[in-house]
This record gives sequence, C-alpha cells and structure tokens, in this order.
Amino acid sequence: MAIAGPRDGPSRGWTALSTPEQALERARAELAAMRASGAYGEQAVRRPLPSTGAITTGKLFEWALIEPDLRDVRSTRRGGAPITAFKRQLLRLLAQYHGELIAEQTRFNVNLVSHVRHLEERIEELEQRLADRES
Amino acid sequence: MTINVHQVLSGAGPFDAITTEAIVFRSYFADWGWGGSDFAARIAPGVDGEITALDKLEVEPEDVLLIHHSAGFPRLERLLALTNPKLLLYHNITPASWLWDHAPLVAVHCAIGREQLLELVSAVDVAAADSQYNASELSALGAARTEVIPLLLDRRRLGTIDAPAGPDAPAGPRSVAPMVLFVGRLSPHKRQDEVIRAFALYRRYRAADARLILVGDPITAGYAQLLRELAEQLAPGAVSIESALSATELASRYRAADVFLCLSEHEGFCIPLLEAFQFGLPVVARPSGAIPDVAGDAVLLVDDPDLALVAELIHLAVTDDGLRAELRRRGQARLDAFAPELVAARLRAAVQATVAARAG
Repeated sequence: MAIAGPRDGPSRGWTALSTPEQALERARAELAAMRASGAYGEQAVRRPLPSTGAITTGKLFEWALIEPDLRDVRSTRRGGAPITAFKRQLLRLLAQYHGELIAEQTRFNVNLVSHVRHLEERIEELEQRLADRES
Repeated sequence: MTINVHQVLSGAGPFDAITTEAIVFRSYFADWGWGGSDFAARIAPGVDGEITALDKLEVEPEDVLLIHHSAGFPRLERLLALTNPKLLLYHNITPASWLWDHAPLVAVHCAIGREQLLELVSAVDVAAADSQYNASELSALGAARTEVIPLLLDRRRLGTIDAPAGPDAPAGPRSVAPMVLFVGRLSPHKRQDEVIRAFALYRRYRAADARLILVGDPITAGYAQLLRELAEQLAPGAVSIESALSATELASRYRAADVFLCLSEHEGFCIPLLEAFQFGLPVVARPSGAIPDVAGDAVLLVDDPDLALVAELIHLAVTDDGLRAELRRRGQARLDAFAPELVAARLRAAVQATVAARAG
C-alpha cells in the first residue's frame, strides 16, 4: 500500500473543506476508499481498558497482594535525580521493616478477601436452597 | 465591600490547572481589595510559598471559604463544621475505576472525593462548577442552583502563537514532518494508549515521518513505562513522552505541533483544548465529559470507536488548509467565550452571592 506524503492533501480529487461539519463525512469517505484499497484492516477499533468494569473477587485477590513499585518512588522536581536516588537508597535500607509491614498487611488482606468469597458462596447456596423450596 | 476569601484545595501541585487557577484567583481578589489566603490538604514539592498547609487555616466568622473540589479531602468534617459562608467550586473527579490498577492511592482519593460530594453540596451556601457537565452532576445531587465558573486559562503563561512566553523559547517554523500533540496527565482515563494507536495508524498509512508528543506528568512511573513500551511497539522512535515541562517549553510544543489529538474518556474541563485554540491548533477529540462544552463548534469531534477514522481526521486536520483556517477562527471565538475577564466576573458574582445567601 503506497503511503501518501506527509503534506499531501486529501486524495481522489476532493476540493478543500471549508467547514468542520463536512470533515467527519469526508474522513469516512476517505477511510472507505482506503479500506477498499487494502489499508487499515479491520482491527483498528478502540479497546476498553481491562480495569474499568466491576471489581471482581478475583481482582480483589490480585490487589490483596501488595507489591509497591520502587520506580514510583521518585522526585518530581526538575533535576531531582539525586533526590530520587537518595529516596530509593533509604527504602533499601528499610527493606526489612517494610517487608514485615507488607507481610502483615497482606496476611490481613488475603484472609479478608477469602472470608468475603466464603460468605458469597454461602449466600449463593442459601439463595439456591430458598429458590428450590419456593419452586 | 471588602471580603476575605480563603481558598481551600484538596491538593496543590506545580503543574496542576486548579492550583494555577487558585493563584490567579488570588491576584483577582487582591485587585478587588479582598483579603484571605490559600490552603491545601496535600502540597506537592514545587509549590513554593503560594499555598499553605490546610491545618494552618484560621478564619474570622465572616470570611468566605472557597472550596475547590477535585479529590478527597482529609478531615472534611472539620472544614464543614466551620460556620463561615461557603462556596463550592467543583472541578469534577475522575471515577476511581480508571485508576485502581495503576494508581491505587489516587483512586482512593477519587473514591472518597466522590463520596464527599453529596455532603459538600448540602453544606455550602452556593454550589458552582467549572463546566455545565460538572454543574449537572451537582444538580443531580440536589443542588438547587448551580453557577458555572469556567476553568481559567492564564493566557500570559504560555505566550501567543507568534510571541514566545520567555526569552529562551524557540520560535522556529512549524516542523516539516507532521507533529501530533496531546497534553494531559499520563493516566488511564486520558487514553494516551489510544492516542498512540491512532497515531500509529496515521503514521503507517498517511505520514511515515509523523511524530507524536505526549506531554504530561505520569500518574505512576510504571504507567509511563507501559505507554513507552506500547509506543516502541507500534511506532518505534516516533513518540516522545515529556514531563515536568516549563511554560516556555510547553508553549514551544504547541507552536511546533500541527494537530492536537485528545481521546480522553473522562474530562471535567480539559484546559489543553483552550491552550490549543490559543496557538491556533486544529483539534481532533472524543466528545467525552465536558469536552463538548469547551469545544463548541471549534473541534473535530469523533465518537466512533474506529481509530482508523481518527487517523483520517488527523490527516484532514493536517493537510486541508481551508479546514485549518476555519478551525483556527472558531477556536479563537471559543477562546473569547472563556476570556479571563468573563471568568473573573462570574467568580466575583458567585462570591458575592455566597455572602448574600448567608446575610439573607
């Protein structure tokens, strides 16, 4: 597929647009023509991000395991590289303490999510029993 | 009448549009002979001396509290327990669902902020928002009357299309290779991943030497790395991700760009649209959140999920001179609709209404 030059205008003899209202229609027509000649393919559709739906128990389990990313510890100042290095070194020195903190918090998180999952299963079971009794 | 207005922010940062607005508001208050100070619950490094820690807030009974709401407020109940007249200015809050995976702490602040909104609406004397979209959220929560005070664009900060903001700003001609620009925090709801995908298509089928510049502070270093990896995979060597730019540097990016591309899925206002208008840049954008309010008829809005269509709109916006000229003209008109003096007048009226509501 030949690529148009960077400053080449719209193809197929279009005249210049004068209003933005025409632009979407023109772009659709151009796209149809491009696709007809083999460009773009069919896979160019917007993708939803995986995290924007409902928060599932599986997701809660994933989050229960705390793993802070050392890359997020940084200075936001311009020329802040030495401050970033200092902060990261400080965290390395305190790694044992933070490891203990993370372990205790993760223990609580995982057990809490397990408990929630267990309760959900019980609710489902009881609802099923109720439905069976009523039917 | 002299009024003391204390502005209260949930957070303040050096590149934050709301912090910038609060600082400009303070200069208006000074011009009007009003007093007061500015406070924030969380202050990022780089905000030097202009904003004070919220726990230092001391008020007289008649002082007005102008509460900028854009994230969760720690100890909100203490603030609302003050009997002072209160004006809420709601800037919208990103739904936490966009942020849980990549920035859990920010997500927590957002989730709390949304929970606090109802409490705030019922506690303030006057509720205002910076877009009609945001005002409609306040109305849905029961606000009887909402004012719209658009987010303020400080035009002097970036200079103009021809006049650099600072002595060291490059003012060279537009690039030969098309340059696509997006400015906004590197965050999942801004969909820079989609900007990269649409750009890669444009580059592949329309302009092999095109470049994309993404300007914004990353919500986390890990998220910025994900975007870099995506860019290297889809458009190797053609995408630059730049953070912590000075106003002069940002202005030079706007001057060098050919088109501004915004595919955000949530925007409470989107001040970069106005900045793009200021520099005469054509804009292609998704009509999400408050974007249609700000864009008016001056933006190529596209809600189609097909990124190839976005790529074709980029191509039109870059190559069609008639279209570019018309978008530039309309953008200038939109800029006039958000002129600082109009914002200042609305702000002044809202503060005076807050005082009057309490007096009445």
